[in-house]
Amino acid sequence: MSGFDLIKMALRNLWKRKLRTFLTVLGVIIGTASIVVMISVGIGMNEGYKNQIEKMGSLYVINLNVPYSYDDSNNKNKDKAKLDTATLEELRQIEGVEAVTPMLQEYFILIDGRNIFDTSIIGILPETMELMGFKVSTGRTLQEGDSMAVVLSSYAREEFYNPKLSWQYRWNGSQNIEIDPYGDKFQLTYDYSYGTKSMDKSIKPKKIEIVGEMDQNGQNSYATFMPLGDVEKIVAEREKHQKAAGQTNNGNKKKKGVYDQAMVKVRDMKDVERIQQEIKDMGFEASSLVDYLKQAQETSKMLQMVLGAIGAISLFVAAIGIANTMVMSIYERTREIGVMKVIGATIPDIRRLFLTEAAFIGLLGGMVGVILSYASSKIINMVSMNMGRETISLIPIWLGLLGIVFATFVGVAAGFFPAVRATKLSALAAIKTE
Amino acid sequence: MSEDIIKLRSLKKIYRMGDERIAAVNNVSLNFEKGTVTCLLGKSGSGKSTLLNLISGLEKPSKGEIIIHGFHVERMNENQLAKFRQQYIGFVFQSYNLLGNLTALENVTLPLIFKRVGLKERNDRAMDMLKAVGLEKRAHHKPSQLSGGQQQRVSIARAFVNNPEIVFADEPTGNLDTKTTYQMMDLMMGLSARNRQTLIIVTHDMEISAYAQRIVHISDGKIENIVYNDKNIKHSGELVKAQGEAVK
Repeated sequence: MSGFDLIKMALRNLWKRKLRTFLTVLGVIIGTASIVVMISVGIGMNEGYKNQIEKMGSLYVINLNVPYSYDDSNNKNKDKAKLDTATLEELRQIEGVEAVTPMLQEYFILIDGRNIFDTSIIGILPETMELMGFKVSTGRTLQEGDSMAVVLSSYAREEFYNPKLSWQYRWNGSQNIEIDPYGDKFQLTYDYSYGTKSMDKSIKPKKIEIVGEMDQNGQNSYATFMPLGDVEKIVAEREKHQKAAGQTNNGNKKKKGVYDQAMVKVRDMKDVERIQQEIKDMGFEASSLVDYLKQAQETSKMLQMVLGAIGAISLFVAAIGIANTMVMSIYERTREIGVMKVIGATIPDIRRLFLTEAAFIGLLGGMVGVILSYASSKIINMVSMNMGRETISLIPIWLGLLGIVFATFVGVAAGFFPAVRATKLSALAAIKTE
Repeated sequence: MSEDIIKLRSLKKIYRMGDERIAAVNNVSLNFEKGTVTCLLGKSGSGKSTLLNLISGLEKPSKGEIIIHGFHVERMNENQLAKFRQQYIGFVFQSYNLLGNLTALENVTLPLIFKRVGLKERNDRAMDMLKAVGLEKRAHHKPSQLSGGQQQRVSIARAFVNNPEIVFADEPTGNLDTKTTYQMMDLMMGLSARNRQTLIIVTHDMEISAYAQRIVHISDGKIENIVYNDKNIKHSGELVKAQGEAVK
């Protein structure tokens, strides 16, 4: 019997017993839909976690900190990990590391004509800024070769103020100063009294160029970014100035080329954990968002398994339904099977006919079940949106297809025993049955 | 030159009923010449149907050989038997045994479907067969919409559609009235004569046996005697045609 005839005959047999076929298919529909929806909730939650965490920064980046120690003054622990040029090079050599940048946090003042803005400044290697996952809302990130270039803090537009006005006046934010971030009159100074009566006229503000603004949804968006070299230069200048003025800056004295923090970009997410451990072994503190994600995923995996199991039970019940329908059908069609055998149907023909019928029950149930799943998923998400939450059910295409394939497979598996039974009927006995 | 298409050698079929052994077929040796009509005549329980089942491979003999066309039927497994039936054998049953959810035409094409004959060819051949039995106007009716005689015509068409060398008919007229019985017999005679097919009819009806060239009387599982029918065989091709017209 050819495949086409087989399918035609199988469909005709199913059609002849419409009600029973429908009820059996209904079981598969419910089974498939419940398993798909359950898994979709798990996937949706996973995606949700991932999105939330990705907002906090790149999942490929490890943050490195030099452990804080109280006994900095007396050189008791000589072999304390030091983040210097040599160590940075060592980090770059770790297998799987794409880029490393030290981070230097400072505090400067930006000047736009009469208005100023006190801001945290982070100095990093400009060419690594984009790699490290920092996002801009306008303009661009820092790039290789940038000099005295700045990516503004996302708060800059609201927080420029006129230092000549009283602080109460500026505190309630009603100054409404319009700034043009891409104007050409921006300057930067380390004179923290700039614009007030006590400002140090000997400190000359430096001209800077704004190349972009931080995206407020990204990581470290409060800070203003500058190339590391520029920050170091300004710091050196500040130290020189303070020395000349007879001020000493205890405890804050830093050697050039030694840092407290760094960021390590990893090429492949699955290497993050290993590299993180290697960094810890070097004596640094290392953390990454993968830590959080792992925890979240562990929880959702458990949930997913429990939900999937509940769905699987209903599909299993549906499978029993298919087997039952097929067995019933064989009893009813005993004579028919016998006739087919006598007039030339081979054993594989008979087996394939019953398997095809069972497969169609599975396929049909699977298809309608997956459609139902998409509909339920939509309803679940609408309800959760109304409650102010995010999407919690997500059915990727692969899950939909897998649902159909799996339901068909369940159909074939459930039909196997009845099909074998049908082939074992003796043609003669079958014909004699009235 | 005559040619024996079926050879039975010391065929035995023994059933166990508790401790008792009953020989339904006991030491039967018989040859069937190609293109002849043989009638196995006997009372109910004589073993004639069992003999037919043995020859057609529906039952396995306890002993003996069945050689059809040089093949040992008793040594074949189920799949070989299925292929063998596709190739060489047609069946007409007492209770028609049509598939209820297929039309007359589809029922006739069924043997060709199992033989993997293409859609157009098998429909053409089945339609020709239905014409030959005078049912072309009923081709798309379901068996439930046909009378007993019409159903048996469909069944005959199905048995002959594949042009098998041997056609078995087990009490083909058992469920039909006398008039229809003669129509059916004429039909089978006509069809089998067309292509020199070997026809084996099992019946308890003496009237029907009159159609055969050879009547084998069976009793208690043994051949009682064999009678050759010298008279002109009752059918003619014209008669078949006339029957076809009558149905219309």
